[in-house]
Amino acid sequence: MPQVRIVARNFMDMVAALPSAKLDKLYESSFICEALLRSLPPLAKKYTLQMLFIESPVTAKSMEEWVLPDGFSKHRVAIDRLLQLRIFLELSDRKKETIYLINPKFQSSMQKYLLHGGTLPRESMPLGATVRLLTLEDLEAYAQKQWECFLLQLINSAQAERLTNFSPSMIKVFQRGLLSSRENEVPRLTENGFQFLLMDTNAQLWYIIREYITTSEDRGVDSSDLISFLLELSFHSLAEAYNLNTLDDVQINVIKDLADLGLVKLQQGRKESWFIPTKLASNLAVSLSDSSSHKQGFVVVETNFRIYAYSSSKLHSEILRLFSRIEYLLPNLIVGAITKESLYTAFENGITAEQIISFLQQNAHARVAERIPTVPENVTDQIRLWETDRNRVEMIPSHLYEDFPSKDVFEAACEFAREVGGLLWEDAVKMQLIVRGELHQQMRDFLRRLK
Amino acid sequence: MANQEYMDKMQLRQNYRNLWHADLTSTISADFLCEGESKKRDFTKLELKPDHVNRPLWACADGRIFLETFSPLYKQAYDFLIAIAEPVCRPEFMHEYNLTPHSLYAAVSVGLETETIINVLNKLSKTKLPKEMIDFIHASTANYGKVKLVLKKNRYFIESPFPGVLKTLLKDSIIAKARIILEVSSSFFGFSFTLVCRTLWCFIVWECQAGDAFSISKTSGELDTHDGLLDGAELAAVAEEKETHSFEIDPTQVENVKQRCLPNALNYPMLEEYDFRNDTVNPDLNVELKPQAQPRPYQEKSLSKMFGNGRARSGIIVLPCGAGKSLVGVSAACRIKKSCLCLATNAVSVDQWAFQFKLWSTIRDDQICRFTSDNKEKFRGNAGVVVTTYNMVAFGGKRSEESEKIIEEIRNREWGLLLMDEVHVVPAHMFRKVISITKSHCKLGLTATLVREDERITDLNFLIGPKLYEANWLDLVKGGFIANVQCAEVWCPMTKEFFAEYLKKENSKKKQALYVMNPNKFRACEFLVRFHEQQRGDKIIVFADNLFALTAYAMKLRKPMIYGATSHQERTRILQAFKHSPDVNTIFLSKVGDNSIDIPEANVIIQISSHAGSRRQEAQRLGRILRAKVVVVYKGRLHDRMAGGKEEYNAFFYSLVSTDTQEMYYSTKRQQFLIDQGYSFKVITSLPPPDSGSELSYYHLNEQLDLLNKVLNAGDDAVGLEQLEEDADDVALQKARRSVGSMSAMSGASGMVYMEYNTGNSKKISQVQTKNKTKDPSKRHFLFKKRFG
Repeated sequence: MPQVRIVARNFMDMVAALPSAKLDKLYESSFICEALLRSLPPLAKKYTLQMLFIESPVTAKSMEEWVLPDGFSKHRVAIDRLLQLRIFLELSDRKKETIYLINPKFQSSMQKYLLHGGTLPRESMPLGATVRLLTLEDLEAYAQKQWECFLLQLINSAQAERLTNFSPSMIKVFQRGLLSSRENEVPRLTENGFQFLLMDTNAQLWYIIREYITTSEDRGVDSSDLISFLLELSFHSLAEAYNLNTLDDVQINVIKDLADLGLVKLQQGRKESWFIPTKLASNLAVSLSDSSSHKQGFVVVETNFRIYAYSSSKLHSEILRLFSRIEYLLPNLIVGAITKESLYTAFENGITAEQIISFLQQNAHARVAERIPTVPENVTDQIRLWETDRNRVEMIPSHLYEDFPSKDVFEAACEFAREVGGLLWEDAVKMQLIVRGELHQQMRDFLRRLK
Repeated sequence: MANQEYMDKMQLRQNYRNLWHADLTSTISADFLCEGESKKRDFTKLELKPDHVNRPLWACADGRIFLETFSPLYKQAYDFLIAIAEPVCRPEFMHEYNLTPHSLYAAVSVGLETETIINVLNKLSKTKLPKEMIDFIHASTANYGKVKLVLKKNRYFIESPFPGVLKTLLKDSIIAKARIILEVSSSFFGFSFTLVCRTLWCFIVWECQAGDAFSISKTSGELDTHDGLLDGAELAAVAEEKETHSFEIDPTQVENVKQRCLPNALNYPMLEEYDFRNDTVNPDLNVELKPQAQPRPYQEKSLSKMFGNGRARSGIIVLPCGAGKSLVGVSAACRIKKSCLCLATNAVSVDQWAFQFKLWSTIRDDQICRFTSDNKEKFRGNAGVVVTTYNMVAFGGKRSEESEKIIEEIRNREWGLLLMDEVHVVPAHMFRKVISITKSHCKLGLTATLVREDERITDLNFLIGPKLYEANWLDLVKGGFIANVQCAEVWCPMTKEFFAEYLKKENSKKKQALYVMNPNKFRACEFLVRFHEQQRGDKIIVFADNLFALTAYAMKLRKPMIYGATSHQERTRILQAFKHSPDVNTIFLSKVGDNSIDIPEANVIIQISSHAGSRRQEAQRLGRILRAKVVVVYKGRLHDRMAGGKEEYNAFFYSLVSTDTQEMYYSTKRQQFLIDQGYSFKVITSLPPPDSGSELSYYHLNEQLDLLNKVLNAGDDAVGLEQLEEDADDVALQKARRSVGSMSAMSGASGMVYMEYNTGNSKKISQVQTKNKTKDPSKRHFLFKKRFG
């Protein structure tokens, strides 16, 4: 994942941050419990399973004896994580010793799940239904198309086109960071928005979902309900249709929002409506670290700063356009050139040289991927040099003082400005000086006192 | 894009085509400018073929062609494209070409036919060929190559396989008048009717001509496995009996007839071919290539294009400096075996050419002569080789009696081959004059860089002939035929004091002197000289166009220098010392060293000032170190300097630029040609390294201020550019800048000492070729080590 300023945290971190009452409520669903169990580090997983049928608490001391001394750090991490997620509860017994107890809610849900198996509270499509379902490949293509369509709209929003298809709640999500939301103004991509476009799909997805959850309270939706529904969604079978009638109104709204992004596909039957989760949805609960998708690279960068992208996707050409000049569009090839001007536009939009370089490196075509470096060194150097070139000029808001009544006053003023560390420039002959803007009040006070 | 819109545009384009000089791309860019520059070229509507993965290229409606170099068909596709299109850039993975009327003219003249071009292009293309391109090829080739002017047994014939075309020509009164009607005419149209065994040209054939019949059978075998992408019929060289119609014209009328056939009249430009085997009138010159002269594959290929059908075609061959152009020239002369007039740019290269002839061929000393202001020799016998300069032939003023006699002889003789070196530097009017003075059957132009800032290159198409062959620089580097050069641009920040002066209006005439004399640049130069002399034992050439800087640098560093006014003896002395003495490892050269001064020892170039944005100069200077390097012994260790040797790079090219000055802008422009050939310039920002440099000059501020004073006190004349012979290219460049000329430095490069050196050790090269070049990062020159992360 590119090093970006947007921190894309783990889904489970989000769960852990919930207040305890909400967490306990979450653990009523056996699916949440399973999802959490899956996300745990191996040792924590083992402890949970070990404790699952133990009703009484276990002292911390005896638990420490379960591991060899060199595994102690792992033990600590596991225990911390379990406590954070409130799967284990920390108590102290009468002898003031620390004891751990498994969360009873979690325990009972998990036990039930293990003994009786889980059933999704959704009604899947009956066999022999007349609706024809998409194949797995078609569904994946659909999801990808929807997602690209969403990104394209984000890019185009900068070109004065409105985000038409999206619900107001989703647009609000975008406006948190990605789009500027000044009133009576066409939404524009912000710095974060441009950076967002260069991230890989999983990181983007997670970013959107995280924002979606954090804004849920504003919409009057309980965030734990939302989390549990989203986690549950990832347990649905891929490409299978589920009836919409089992969902409550909130959930239906969520499904509609997700459909816009391509996480689910809505299918209208004769009487009933169905939703079909796509791969994007099932990736939700997977932790980001191990889902680094190995996409087929498509970009070739030459030593003469020309870019050849093996792609027919409009999105790719739009993304490349963020930092290069597109010259030719062919059926399966995009030809462009990195120029000083195109890079300056990118820098102006808040994209950094590093982001551009890592985008080019990560998406390197298989042909050049073996070459080291994948992007010619002179190109990466030049991109960085152009960036540092921009930083050579620093703007400091400041004030110019002139027309001093006497040399003494001028010199005193210079002295004062120097002392407060704000003197930028002085001309003793013309008796002019320039001082940092934030010190203007102090300078004024000082000069007034001199009078 | 709407169809109607496109139709209109095509109509417009069609009109353009009637103008010979308008090439398609400029037409296109004209179109696009009208629609707003932001308009990109969208050809996504082209239909992809199902097996497009196996095909190597895309062709766009505006004539641009993209070629994947990693395709298994690359070699064949490259040979084909280089024949029909103009290369735009040729880096490692993707080449770009432009289809232009000129390039198609060249294609037709080497024997490709319209249908062959379209068929092969279609076979190689991933998409269906755009209709616009097919139309364009038809329109451009409709009239080209249909008519040939052949000199046979000293009678001029106009030949064509299309009787209709000849009929059209004969309707013209001038041509009709020039025609000599044979008494016995048997054919229907009154043409003499000959059956000539002709070869149908296909791009694979050239390999066959290059003399390795084995490779052709192998190639076709390979191709067949590619799902019959190119079927056998087109692969095999199909010998075909073809009828040729011809009529004879009056030798005195040849020029007039040629004129009538030009695009502004009848528009059937004539190809000139020389049937030298059947020329019994001109005496033979009995020369052969020596057995050890073994042309390399690309040299063979270029020759095979020239002698494609057993006759000699006129045209230009483009090979990088140091790749062995002279062997191509000598080989051509040895094949034609008639008298040869060889034209070079200056006296030094005249000597070099004479030497090359003696080196590679069995020519006797009395068969070759030099004709310069110092050397007025004459060959004995009926046929021979004369080597002279363009100036000697084109000179308009009064000549000495002796040279008048020789010129008269040159004028009266019918030359089998007119060999022209460095055709890119010679102004067009000079060519016209030379070509009108000398009568030759075949003209061969040689050059490394077919770029000029004044775009006069297209004139060469009419004056000499089409471009017959152009080698790919990167392929030659990979093959180990030329050195692998690391190019670097060294950024030298202006010191505060120099920059302040640079910005002042009253110093506008001294701007160049100020940025060249920038103390940081001097220190970087000194550092590099020391580094390469002491650490690597390299031989270094420092180039400076600015005479003031040249002198100042050379004096301060105590190194020898050569510029226009340096006497012949001194030049000889300096170059000999540079060649042989272990104490002289660096020389300073002015512009006189740009072209045709052969110093094979040098492997490092440091450029401290240059001629504005001349791409040609940059490429020519790089050419000074391109000759494949040999193993040298330095400090008891063997250094493998051979191209493709152990070290990743075996030659270094530094261009020092002062940041924030005009130089930065020029530098980008200058590098364009080399970048298009696949070279990359590494930017070095901190030289000397921050932790060192106190031992270098101008470390202290007062020294720097002294230097500044010296620059400011020098006369405007003294700090200007060195002016050599007039060159139209310069004029074009001068337009874009304030010229700071200096008459005091006026001089020619005549009398430059000749130094040739034999590096062509073909055995070693073939060994290296087979070895896979291993890139050992630890061997990397420390300046080029990764700076970031």
